[in-house]
Amino acid sequence: MTAAPDTRGVAVRPASPWGLAREVAFIAAGLLLLSLVIKVHWMTNFMVFFILVLSFDLLYGFMGHLSFGHMLYFGAGAYGTALWLVFGSKSPLIALAAGMLVAALLAAGLGRIVMRTHGAPFALINMAFNEIGHFMIQSPLSGVTQGEDGLSCSADNIFGVINLYKDGWAFGFAAVMLLAVFALLRVLTASPYGILVRSIKENEQRVKFLGYNTFRYKWVTFVIASTVAALSGGMFTLVQGFVSPRVISPFGNVDVIFAVLIGGAGNLYGALIGGTVFMLIKNFLPVLIPELANMLNMRLPQWEMWLGIVLLVIVFSVRKGIVGAVLAKWRLRAYGSPT
Amino acid sequence: MIQTVIYGFTIGAILYFFSVGLSLTFGTMHIINFAHGMVYALGVYLFITFMGYFGNSFLLSLVVSLMAMLPVAYVVERFVIRRLYGESLDYAIIATYGVLLIGTDFIKLIWGTTPYPVNDPIGLAVPLAGLDLPVYRIVIVISAVLLFLALRLFFKRSIIGQIVIASLEDSDGVRCLGLDVNRYFSIIFVLGSALAVLGGILYAPISTAEPYMGFHILLLAFAVVIVGGMGNLNGTFVAAMVLGMVMAITGRFWSQAANAMVFVVMALVIIFRPMEAE
Repeated sequence: MTAAPDTRGVAVRPASPWGLAREVAFIAAGLLLLSLVIKVHWMTNFMVFFILVLSFDLLYGFMGHLSFGHMLYFGAGAYGTALWLVFGSKSPLIALAAGMLVAALLAAGLGRIVMRTHGAPFALINMAFNEIGHFMIQSPLSGVTQGEDGLSCSADNIFGVINLYKDGWAFGFAAVMLLAVFALLRVLTASPYGILVRSIKENEQRVKFLGYNTFRYKWVTFVIASTVAALSGGMFTLVQGFVSPRVISPFGNVDVIFAVLIGGAGNLYGALIGGTVFMLIKNFLPVLIPELANMLNMRLPQWEMWLGIVLLVIVFSVRKGIVGAVLAKWRLRAYGSPT
Repeated sequence: MIQTVIYGFTIGAILYFFSVGLSLTFGTMHIINFAHGMVYALGVYLFITFMGYFGNSFLLSLVVSLMAMLPVAYVVERFVIRRLYGESLDYAIIATYGVLLIGTDFIKLIWGTTPYPVNDPIGLAVPLAGLDLPVYRIVIVISAVLLFLALRLFFKRSIIGQIVIASLEDSDGVRCLGLDVNRYFSIIFVLGSALAVLGGILYAPISTAEPYMGFHILLLAFAVVIVGGMGNLNGTFVAAMVLGMVMAITGRFWSQAANAMVFVVMALVIIFRPMEAE
């Protein structure tokens, strides 16, 4: 982690409208390339997950607050959207907005509490709230959420044409949403607000000395990150047409943390690359391992163990993640210094 | 009602066994140790295996599996925890979580995912006020109280305990006295892990062994450590007993809510007592 805000790397360069359009086009090209290799249906799930990873990157990578309860907001968005589709109207965009509103209100309320803490208590109290949310969905609210059985829902076409249950349309919808979230976060993190948020990560005390009300900034960031996570959750509901308490289970947090770390925390491109690598591991290892085990005629550990090993490797050797390591190498060549 | 109270104390006792190590690790090394759950679960599975070898002798299997887990705990301390001293909390959380994942998957690989039941080693029940109380639960509660007293004595009277207490206050100060703090930390770490294994084995006859048991108790133990104060030994004991009682009483009226209620209490504590932890 560099001490001063870095103005040379990809992460920080202010995004001019033209530059931003170029970056978005670049990512769109990358997504299309990826969809040539992977089934389109999977690719949609990938992109929904990318949005979640981007939202977590804002909270952890940019502001330095590691939460073990981010799935609460993903789940709130997923359930908010699903319940609106079941009990409200069938319009997908309004349902999505309803899910985001639920999560934003939840984050605004809980944020007043959790944002008073940082470090270990922050991670753990978020996990506690996540666990409570998981329980609420499973048991006291099971009258509306159907508890463990999950809730099926269906949405109308967007604008009468876009049928979310057709792979091509779903892919397009998810891609547009992902690019929009990326552009929003790109502008946000390069703005003065974003620089302040990064300064809070480096040294909150000094930011306070400069006269800023850091609590307000942290709270706003928490609400934004949670709302974007809810967008991802709502899209998950729309694309899958089904939600179960698994979407709000605290175990999902590790996936997100892992994806952010492997790509490189505090860098939006890192979040995308980390998300891709993670989804590839998660989707292909369970298929590859049994085949490999058959071939070698022995029992091999499941993918959780490999995940654990990769986490240890990241922490002990490649802390900056893939993008961080590449950037450091590039800067070393260009400027003679890795930072 | 008496049954509920005894049940509460039993849960509290197990939580205490588990949380002591967690609390000490946090207090001395400032590390949130998810690997504690791995040691706990692996200990129980080893115990079940040894039970098969030693013809269901509870005490012998307990001692042997405890001995077998000491090197495992030391390896975790030496190769993961020690490399994280003075690092940021986040990396410590992630690395120890990695260890927990590896341990859980290892258990699934060796023993499979089906839960194992363990028999009550005493099997007697004393009649009290018209109810049958299993002696075994009373033994658990008594052993937790004994442990609490023994730990108090250890930290008050022994030189190792004094050094650790001093490092809880100011580890740099202790280092300046020329003491190798890390050595004492690793002793404490192994001790804490052994207590977790002991708690897991004592709990096994009441519950069942399953690969994710480490995850489940970790969540509860974090609540204990936060409510009791990180690195505060008396606080950990009181918090474990109180939360055990919260679980038992909630469980009596609404069994699914037992775990969630613990987190509600934890949230209330955090709201009303600002944490000074970094």
